[in-house]
Amino acid sequence: MEALKSAFDFSDFPRSDLFVAGALVVLLLVFPLFPHSAFAMATVIQFFIFSLYGMGWNTIGGYGGQVDLGKAQYVGIGAYTTAVMLIRWDIPFWVSMPVGVCLAVAWSFVIGFPLFRLKGHYFAIATIATSLVLKDLFEVWDFVGAARGLEISPIKYTPPDFLRLIFREDIYYYYVIFAFFLIGIFYINWFRKSRLGFQLRAIKDNESVAQSLGINVHLAKVKTYAIATAFVSVVGSFHACYIKNIEPEDTMSLNISILIALMAMLGGAGSLWGPIIGAGILIPLKSYLKEWLGATAGLVGIDLILYALIIMIISATEPRGIWGIVERLRRRKPN
Amino acid sequence: MPLLEVHNLVKNFGGLKANDDISFTVEKGELIGLIGPNGAGKTTLFNCISGLHPVSSGRIVFDGEDITSLKAFDIARRGMARTFQVYVASGDLTVIENVMVGAFMHTRLRTAARSRAEEILSNLNLAELTGYRVSELPVAAQKRVTMATALATGPKMLLLDEVAAGLNPSEVDEIMSGIRHVHNDMGITVMLIEHVMELVMKISDRVIVLDYGQKIAEGQPRQIAGDPRVIQAYLGERYVREHSQELT
Ligand SMILES: Nc1ncnc2c1ncn2[C@@H]1O[C@H](COP(=O)(O)OP(=O)(O)O)[C@@H](O)[C@H]1O
Ligand SMILES: [Mg+2]
Repeated sequence: MEALKSAFDFSDFPRSDLFVAGALVVLLLVFPLFPHSAFAMATVIQFFIFSLYGMGWNTIGGYGGQVDLGKAQYVGIGAYTTAVMLIRWDIPFWVSMPVGVCLAVAWSFVIGFPLFRLKGHYFAIATIATSLVLKDLFEVWDFVGAARGLEISPIKYTPPDFLRLIFREDIYYYYVIFAFFLIGIFYINWFRKSRLGFQLRAIKDNESVAQSLGINVHLAKVKTYAIATAFVSVVGSFHACYIKNIEPEDTMSLNISILIALMAMLGGAGSLWGPIIGAGILIPLKSYLKEWLGATAGLVGIDLILYALIIMIISATEPRGIWGIVERLRRRKPN
Repeated sequence: MPLLEVHNLVKNFGGLKANDDISFTVEKGELIGLIGPNGAGKTTLFNCISGLHPVSSGRIVFDGEDITSLKAFDIARRGMARTFQVYVASGDLTVIENVMVGAFMHTRLRTAARSRAEEILSNLNLAELTGYRVSELPVAAQKRVTMATALATGPKMLLLDEVAAGLNPSEVDEIMSGIRHVHNDMGITVMLIEHVMELVMKISDRVIVLDYGQKIAEGQPRQIAGDPRVIQAYLGERYVREHSQELT
């Protein structure tokens, strides 16, 4: 009960923030009702998808300060679980999605318990490695289509199919992922004020101090990593139904992992709005870059250059990202 | 039954004996001073007691229970709180949030943690700092905040590692009255490491002196202050020579 109240309580933000947030929510709510291009629609859906990935990442990476560069493996587990279960056994999304979460969380424990013995850069590198290993595994595993991947053929179903999440028009996907997006915000709003949220911030500050305050640092990290994983896996399941064509190379690439972390860091790691701001900037940018320049030979790598630049700018100016700048401008210093 | 018993504690770092066969006990309600020159092994002793360092050998009993091989967070949950000599607040926690982390040890409820934190901050005269980020505060205030955070866990015993170091005299007075409050009014057993000698001598019931990892003396502040071995270890031979008349 207190948890629910806390999830809907945004009173520690200034009114102006809530006004802006409310206006944006209304805008996103009515956007599909106005004339729009398919490209704009797809871009906003990607924005929701990556905001959610970023929100998940932000729990362990932002509040907990454990830079995780392997989130793509959980996108993969979610997406593949849903695709395999639908294609092979005609099991609907609402069943396969929680199954995917369980599998992803189980995998997160398998790698989380040993990996969280590592610190800082070693942890980041280890998460990249496990993600790549899983991707390689999926590329040779015939049961999940190996390197060809899996294709969900919409012809077999009669859209709109709300159980299997098979739609012909993007507008359905839009509102489904929008609902997840709002749930995600409320969840994180609870999380950041929960005991675990406080413990993580203490851990990020100083692990020895956290231990001395009775915090089981290792367990808190593993738990939070599982939460981050659940977020990513749910959206991965959605992604499978939405894209309908999943291959290890797209779904589980290092690019995705880096993009997730980068967006959250750009927007503001360890803040509620950070990942959303980051996704709101990077996703349209990425889409338009690809649309305008990506086709041109030789410019395919331009987004990578852009990411590198962003990382450098963030680390040189404000480690807490755009939200950090906003807060700094707003804060009154003592004396 | 003593609250804390340390039996033959040894802590080696490679070839260095940072704690060499240290034994002592602390009774409930005592205020113990732990002194000794830089590098004597005082912080190491706290790290061993609070479980941050595994001991090389020896036994530590807290409130009747052998805690020698427990993890730091488990020891904290049994009622042993501490502060750190070097504390750099880098995060974005505000003072109240920082103290709430301690308060969360005994409750899941944010409202309960918050009211407990508020109570402790006002008890330590820190209420006006509530909304500041810890990292924005001057060192003296940061140290008082970390003390408040440790207290928020509701400890039986509090280990304070040089909370008065680097503070000016009026700040030292403030922190001293804070420590007195913790000890007298809250009834918490305190062990404090301090370089500011008068502070230790003024408020300790008993003083333990370390030098080169060994316990070289233990007793009432007055006895300790006059113990030539202590003076020599702590203040150096020159001091003993120069002050030999006063001492005798
Ligand atoms: N983690 C560590 N690793 C290696 N040596 C250490 C470590 N911590 C302390 N020491 C050494 O142990 C000795 C005692 O240090 P310390 O307990 O910090 O002394 P004090 O707090 O009395 O000034 C010093 O020689 C110090 O260099
Ligand atoms: Mg020390």
